[in-house]
Amino acid sequence: MPADRTELLQGTLEMLVLRTLSIEPMHGWGIAHRIEHMSEDVFLVTQGSLYPALVRMKRRGWLKTSWRVTEKSRRARYYELTAAGLRQLDLETATWRRASAAVESVMSPRWATGSVTL
Amino acid sequence: MSVFSDVIERLRSLFFRNREERELDEELRTHLQMEADYRRHRGQSERDAERGSLIALGGVERVKDEVRDARGTRWFHDVTSDVAFGLRTLALNPGFTLVTLATLAIGIGGTTAVFSTVDAVLLQPLPYAQPGQLVRLFQHDSVHPDERGFVTPVHFAAVRLRVSAFASTAALATYSETGADISNEDGVRRIRILPVSVDYFEAMRVRPAMGRGFLPEEESDSTVVVISDALWKEHFDRSRSVIGKTLSMSGRPYAVVGVMPAGFSDPIAPAIEAWTSLDMRPALDPTNADNHYLSVIARLRSGTPIGRAQAEVNAVVAALVKENPSAVGSRARLYPLKEDIVGSSSRALEVMLGAVCLVLVLVCVNVANLMLVRGSERSPEFAVRSALGAERGRLVRQLLIESLTLAIAGAVAGLVVARLAMSAIVVLGAGTIPRLETLSLDPRLLVFSLLVATASAVVFGLGPAMRASRTQPGDVLRDQSRSSTGGAGSLRLREWLVVWQVALAFVLLIGAGLLLSSFQRIQNVDLGVKPDRVLTFELHLPDARYDSSARARFYERAAAQLASLPGVRAVGGVSRLPGTGPFHSWGVRATSGPLNGSKRGRGQAQQRVVSGNYFAAVGIRLLAGRTFDARDISGAVNVVVVSKSLTDALFPGVNPIGQTIQTGGRAATIVGLVTQVAIDNEGRSAPFVYHPHAQFAGNRNWALTQVVALRDSRRDIQPEVRRALSNMDSQLVMYRPMMLDAAIGGGVAQRVFTLRVLMAFATVALLLAALGIFGVLSYGVRLRAREFSIRLALGAQRGAIRAMVLRRGLMVTGAGIAVGLGASALISRLMRSMLFQVTPLDPIVFGAAIAFMSAVATFAAYLPAHRATSMDPRSALQ
Repeated sequence: MPADRTELLQGTLEMLVLRTLSIEPMHGWGIAHRIEHMSEDVFLVTQGSLYPALVRMKRRGWLKTSWRVTEKSRRARYYELTAAGLRQLDLETATWRRASAAVESVMSPRWATGSVTL
Repeated sequence: MSVFSDVIERLRSLFFRNREERELDEELRTHLQMEADYRRHRGQSERDAERGSLIALGGVERVKDEVRDARGTRWFHDVTSDVAFGLRTLALNPGFTLVTLATLAIGIGGTTAVFSTVDAVLLQPLPYAQPGQLVRLFQHDSVHPDERGFVTPVHFAAVRLRVSAFASTAALATYSETGADISNEDGVRRIRILPVSVDYFEAMRVRPAMGRGFLPEEESDSTVVVISDALWKEHFDRSRSVIGKTLSMSGRPYAVVGVMPAGFSDPIAPAIEAWTSLDMRPALDPTNADNHYLSVIARLRSGTPIGRAQAEVNAVVAALVKENPSAVGSRARLYPLKEDIVGSSSRALEVMLGAVCLVLVLVCVNVANLMLVRGSERSPEFAVRSALGAERGRLVRQLLIESLTLAIAGAVAGLVVARLAMSAIVVLGAGTIPRLETLSLDPRLLVFSLLVATASAVVFGLGPAMRASRTQPGDVLRDQSRSSTGGAGSLRLREWLVVWQVALAFVLLIGAGLLLSSFQRIQNVDLGVKPDRVLTFELHLPDARYDSSARARFYERAAAQLASLPGVRAVGGVSRLPGTGPFHSWGVRATSGPLNGSKRGRGQAQQRVVSGNYFAAVGIRLLAGRTFDARDISGAVNVVVVSKSLTDALFPGVNPIGQTIQTGGRAATIVGLVTQVAIDNEGRSAPFVYHPHAQFAGNRNWALTQVVALRDSRRDIQPEVRRALSNMDSQLVMYRPMMLDAAIGGGVAQRVFTLRVLMAFATVALLLAALGIFGVLSYGVRLRAREFSIRLALGAQRGAIRAMVLRRGLMVTGAGIAVGLGASALISRLMRSMLFQVTPLDPIVFGAAIAFMSAVATFAAYLPAHRATSMDPRSALQ
């Protein structure tokens, strides 16, 4: 387990969940681990905060749920994107791209320290 | 749609809360198992895997709470647990809970019931189209402008013809309540009938449901009848072809011309089953201008003010005075019909309303007091809970929920009380308070009472809680463990509340006392008759089988026959029982003696037609001359017996026997002078003229009420009377039999009703005040238990401590009585019209109320005083 793991960026959990579920329906534990796995173990998902987020997203109509049996034959609640959830993912992805590009640009080394003139 | 799914999810969460909770539980369990599997797979030990997965999740209950928050149902979860907790604490404190519930129930229920009554009787419009246009016309003489007398046919005819402000003017012969006998296979039954003029149905704006009303040419002795919906159902079996059929009333065939719609009732005369056409021919005889017997209801033309109609009526009456010597001295006045109907009872209802408002305030004060005690008693509990980390908002919410739970339970109990109280009002007030049949529970009133009571519970319940949660928990806890003499601040507030309770209770006590005193005086008033041991009943002889001479013979024969029954002292008949209100008030003119021909030789007198041995039967004594006997028959010289006040007025200074008067359309010689009798149950007297029925039977069918004086009231003579009557005529009905004191007492019924209600309120108020005194002193004693113990241990006299507590209680009571005295002095004069021979500041009533209040207060204060000295100093100091 890498030592330099970091908390999720504020407000990104729902986007990451949407992204994860766009691959395939998944249960809560699976979502948490998939986010960690897909972030190459950089992000640490506080498992407890995942469930309230799932409930909120379901209330907004982005997710639907169903009880299914896992490979290890356990009953688990699976979460699945709805059409609205898919649209939300597109929206958030676009916003994220713009925002991260902007952040990237701000942090870019072409702005030499101390030489910003307005 | 996201708003939609949001609502659906929230609702689902609410309704399937249990399932949601189960599923969440299962989901989290699965999660933990998966995490543990994963950790074991990575080589952790069984124990580490389980512990680690719990830590990673962050606590099952916390996650659940957060999920509930996210669902938007956490408040519900919290509220239900608060309600459950509240119910538990209430159940743990049954004394407090029961007293508060009872207080709330009485307050909410009583207020709702009385407000509903007042609303139904006073505030709701009359059930007729445009009821505001309906007015009633009364006549009075120049001396008594406030009198509401019946109208003469001459005046009615003139007003109907000449007053253009009236759209329609109707006369009702309500004066007699004469009924009629109808017979079917079950036997003979008496129904109430009301003769009305042609315009009656138009004035009421009610058309018969079938058939028609009356025609102008039917205002004579025509035999047409309009029947009520009830009679149509009962007697004609809802026959659609009833119009034109015959209804035999008292042996005379009437043609049914109309059927009134269901629910129609006359505004003045209750329970009328048939309307007949009023004979208006007496209006053509000018001498009837002093013959008052009609009730007149008119409908104002749309938009016409009552003042303009009054001006026109005045002009008509003034013109009549010029045209007609019999109309001299007569005036007429209009009153809105509704005011007239509810008029006599409105003051009683206003007093009830005032009383119930006082009780409601008292209830609120009591609830406030109870909540205050409870709040202070629980301040240690709240201190502990806030010390343990409970949020302040959470504590306040919990108290709020407890107060609301209590208030809602109180409201449910109040609803039951209101229902019971309203059926009691309907039963007790029947016949004395008009329009009671429209009484129904108004939910708005219930909500209003509920809000008021809840507000007091919440405000006074929250106050201490806020204070408790604001103070440093440590202080409260230290305070409590030392049980110091503190808490004086809230004690003072509570004592003030008790002062007000005592004051309110005192006001109600005064009100009840004044009514009670009036009632006793009325019971003791000298009516001029001996009403006990006299059986009365109406005996109507159908015109078809009895002409006037047959009626004259029958009533005399009946009196003689019934007098021969064992145990009967004397028997007679009269056109209206004494003490049951004014009846025929006719003009009287002296035609001999010193005032003959002068203006002072004219007057009004109550006229009664009597048969048999009437005077002896009711206990009217003969002062001079003779009463009627077998000589006084039709064709013989007209004779009358008069009361002393009449001869004092018309024949001053001369022997009245043998003098002559003109009255009721005939000249008569005074043959007897009798004692005065009262017109009504309050003992008001008026001059009386008595005519012998045997001589006066031709005037009209007098339908005499029979009076049978018994030697022994305990014997039920009714079966024997009935048998004797049926031996004379098997078809006659012994109608409305009752004892004379009950017949006179019927007029007191409204007074009795108000008295009972006020007494009930005063009792409740006294109880609440006593409870308040008891509560505040007990609380004080509990707070000072330690102090008292030290004093006792140091050798204080028990008596001195007891006196100290008692003094405290009497101080509070004294202050309350002082406030109550001031308030009563102001308020009791509003009751003046309901009082009888009692001034609103009657010293006996006030003195008795002070004594009674003090006695109750002393009793309430004694128990805590006793407890203050009966505790063991050692246990209190430990």
